[in-house]
Amino acid sequence: MIRRCASYAVLVAGLIPLLLPFYWMALTSLKPKREVFTAVPQWWPAHPAWDNYRSAWVAEPFAGFFFNSIVVTASIVALQLALASLAAFALSRFEFRGRSLIFWIIVAALIVPVQITFIANFMTLAHLGLLNTYAALVAPYAASAFGTFLLRQAFAAVPRQLEDAARLDGCSGLAFLWHVLLPLSRPTVLAFALVAVVTHWNDYFWPLIVTNNNAVRTLPIGLGMFVGQEVTTDWNLLMAASIFVSAPMLLLFFLMQRHFVQSQLRTGSRG
Amino acid sequence: MTSARPYLYLAPTLAVLAAFTYFPLARLAELSLHAPGIGTSLGPWIGFSAYSTLFANPLFWRVAGQTLLYVFASVPIAMAIALALALLLDQPLRGVGVFRVLYYTPVVMPTVAVAALALWMFNANGGIIDYLLHAIGIGPVPWLVDGAWALPTLMIVAVWKNVGYYMIIYLAGLQSLPRAVLDAARLDGARPIARFFTITLPLLRPTTFFLAVVALIGSFQVFDFVNLMTQGGPSNATNVLVYFAYQNGFEYVQLGMAAAISLVMFAMVLMILGALAWAFNR
Repeated sequence: MIRRCASYAVLVAGLIPLLLPFYWMALTSLKPKREVFTAVPQWWPAHPAWDNYRSAWVAEPFAGFFFNSIVVTASIVALQLALASLAAFALSRFEFRGRSLIFWIIVAALIVPVQITFIANFMTLAHLGLLNTYAALVAPYAASAFGTFLLRQAFAAVPRQLEDAARLDGCSGLAFLWHVLLPLSRPTVLAFALVAVVTHWNDYFWPLIVTNNNAVRTLPIGLGMFVGQEVTTDWNLLMAASIFVSAPMLLLFFLMQRHFVQSQLRTGSRG
Repeated sequence: MTSARPYLYLAPTLAVLAAFTYFPLARLAELSLHAPGIGTSLGPWIGFSAYSTLFANPLFWRVAGQTLLYVFASVPIAMAIALALALLLDQPLRGVGVFRVLYYTPVVMPTVAVAALALWMFNANGGIIDYLLHAIGIGPVPWLVDGAWALPTLMIVAVWKNVGYYMIIYLAGLQSLPRAVLDAARLDGARPIARFFTITLPLLRPTTFFLAVVALIGSFQVFDFVNLMTQGGPSNATNVLVYFAYQNGFEYVQLGMAAAISLVMFAMVLMILGALAWAFNR
């Protein structure tokens, strides 16, 4: 009983540094400018300025950035799912020469992030004339070592007998992948897709390298430019913009939290 | 049984990884041995002079040291907090699911939004953190404006952002432990603290190793917070390797030097991972 109370006390105390920033962000986003800097902080907006959101939205071409983020994130996730499914299918259900070597080549890519290769990738894309295109934003992420690994584990767990039975029913090859493996691995597929959506929606580094034009910039870049301009002045507008950039991911997370947590439980337990 | 099919299925993934992961490593090596200009030409061969210039530059050693400090301070701290939270959240408490979700929330936030928020909260002019500390008689702390404080401030932000992710991985590790062993220890009357150090922690070793690898690789990549919050300053106090490479490549247009920095960093990551694997599998 005492231990239980102590556990709750620690967990609740931990929520203060965890949640205060979220509250402060939301609160600041609703303050009129004169209430942002006060000698004694106001813990509740006396006159909520909902208009801040509209001002922030038009301060940069955020509508265009939003559209670009959706196109880029959706393209990356769709390609990763397609390529990882095919590769995982080969690695989990076929016997062939070099299988384990290929598996390790794919997994080893996890220790070579784009933060190491960016200079070379930038020069390649510049050489091909692809800077400031959706292709440049998507191409390096079209394959996912992590996704291939996860799906391989899930596919390998499907029993052999099921494959034999499906073959007798005339379902083999890609039909087996599509009609049997993927549906049976739904939780893993969903969990991986969610993590990929969040990762690429939030990505700041790579778009910063290959874009310098509003026509293809994504939301994090737009918000980053806003940070550069608004610092020390309009914190309320900056917080409003931060909220609408984060909101889709927060919403997705709260709606699908079970699957997010499950995805981590899936990878972690195999460590 | 061997046919072309599996190779066909693997081809797209291997092609992308070859083009954007493995080929670039070779390309970085090539760039670092030449003096490439702004254009697409490789420039003249200069041998290892980019590396000797780099190693003779005191700023490089400072940046490398700061990167290691950032990694080896923030990762263990975040892992320790995460393990403590995971132990608390592994108990059959009412509402434990809500806590798990709340503690995970910062993980899904964009780094840019977190950086904007941190700039505001740690601000010297009207920042809420100095106000709260002042209320208990501390500060004001020169968070981002003082060279000694700026890197620790970035670490605090990174720990806040990452701890939920590490927590979930530890939670997964805890939940995969053999219950029978833990129950037996409890029945033997082992005290909770002794039980943790003699049983739980050793059993969690694979999870700790996995997490340390993931966290190290992730932390070495730190760039977003630096670029958005400090631009490496004040006077290089928060300059780290990825930012240093970025600066050399895109601000000073020294692409060969930038490539050399990236490769040196990659070598450092490999050596540390090797040491970690050795330490954990001894």
